[in-house]
Amino acid sequence: MIELAPKHKYGLPIQHPVMPAAGVFGFGNEYHDLIDETVLGAVVTNPVSLHARKAARGPRFMTHGDHFLVHTGLPNPGLKRVLKEHRATWARRSLPTIVHLIATTPPEVAQAAQLLSGIQGVAGLELGLDDGAEVEAACAFLEAAREGHHPILVRIPFGDIYPLAEALAECGADALTLTAPPRARLPLAPDTEHDTEGLLLAKGRLYGPALMPLLLHQLARWIPRLAVPVVACGGITTTDAARACLELGAAAVQIDAVMWKRPNLLTEIAKELSNE
Amino acid sequence: MIREQVAVFREARPEPPLWWVRFEVSVPPAAGRFMLADLAGPVRIPLFAAAIDPTGFAIMAPPGHPATHLLPGARVAMLGPLGKGFRIENQQRLLVITEAGRLPPLLPLLTSTATTTLVVEAATRARLPSLHRIPPTVELHTITHDGSAGHTGTLEQLLDADSPVRESLRWADCACFSCEPARYPALARSVRRARMHPSADFAQALIEVTMPCGAGACEVCRIQTRSGERRACSDGPVFDLLELDTDG
Repeated sequence: MIELAPKHKYGLPIQHPVMPAAGVFGFGNEYHDLIDETVLGAVVTNPVSLHARKAARGPRFMTHGDHFLVHTGLPNPGLKRVLKEHRATWARRSLPTIVHLIATTPPEVAQAAQLLSGIQGVAGLELGLDDGAEVEAACAFLEAAREGHHPILVRIPFGDIYPLAEALAECGADALTLTAPPRARLPLAPDTEHDTEGLLLAKGRLYGPALMPLLLHQLARWIPRLAVPVVACGGITTTDAARACLELGAAAVQIDAVMWKRPNLLTEIAKELSNE
Repeated sequence: MIREQVAVFREARPEPPLWWVRFEVSVPPAAGRFMLADLAGPVRIPLFAAAIDPTGFAIMAPPGHPATHLLPGARVAMLGPLGKGFRIENQQRLLVITEAGRLPPLLPLLTSTATTTLVVEAATRARLPSLHRIPPTVELHTITHDGSAGHTGTLEQLLDADSPVRESLRWADCACFSCEPARYPALARSVRRARMHPSADFAQALIEVTMPCGAGACEVCRIQTRSGERRACSDGPVFDLLELDTDG
């Protein structure tokens, strides 16, 4: 048994150290037909906000070699609708569901955390911070999320491990997810139809295997300094990579968008690690 | 239900300007549904059938498409069939309306009903597709923007004018569209003008957008409809055209 929230009164125990990352697995049972969830430690939902959010305009997906940018705008139907549609699935699951909350405003996060209190199957919240969040603001979001009774994981933006990680651990985060996918840009093809001038860039979050060495670098640097469990996330595409994260001290690993290409990878890694 | 299948690549041959690529698979996709194939690159690629038979399906792919680089007998991991396809059961008179480059996913429809009319739009005669995949029983209308073949103008103009294309829309039991998604609101209004109160699913439109996961998980393929945002991969990719009239 792995305890992701050892300082929390209820804790967040998981059986296995592998789970999907926020934003890749849907809200409920989208991958139910393909994936044996029982070998996972937990399921992290897609990002959800108190109120509905629409999808981003403009390019939402661009490839660049083995990597790609995703910019969805974190669309979701709002927490009440998500609960209406998926709480039964979460309640039926034999493993914990961790709801990924978008940090919109502290009062909204507080209200969302309260709404999620007592929802059967929900064992924790993962708070997703905006890139460039200040320490004070991040701690205010964390405080707001603690209005509910669940353990709180905070997913740290890629470029903000310093100063956020240590500060949030001190502010009472139960665990940290290192990290959210980095923000990146790619040049768009010239828009000949509208005769625009200058370089046009698509922006989004970067996914791909090159993130894994960066992740290992950050884990090696930060895990010894942090007093809370760390969940590793970013570019993990093999069992060896997942194992390296765990050996560096991560409590668990999250598999991100590689599972869109290889849905079974999630369970393959989980099974291989559990056999060791 | 999401099914995982292994398809066997059988052949690829040029049919300029495209390639005809055939796979054997136990459950092929129906018209408008798709397979997500693990071919190359960081995500799976959606494949829409241009021909369907009990043992497999064929696609029409542009030169350089990863499917054209496979060797005969290659095994390709596929998810699917996925999504909701065209719903044309019990329709007698089918109208198929498409831009020339978007015809292949609609080819299976041309043999599905007793009476079929096909309207193909292209910028110029040279962009019109080869006719040999179109059954001889199909009534064909071509539209070119420059008037080099068939009717002159655009789809919207011909659907709104007193033309054989508008006439075809009036008598059809069902109309299936495959166009650039940005054109659908205007086409939906043309359908309303021609048919007054068309029934649900009278006009159906295929939306081809990037669909990385195919399961409704990634939210990349969200599109706006009259009743809110929908996912093309799981709620579509075939939608009621009138639902896509978000400007009206």
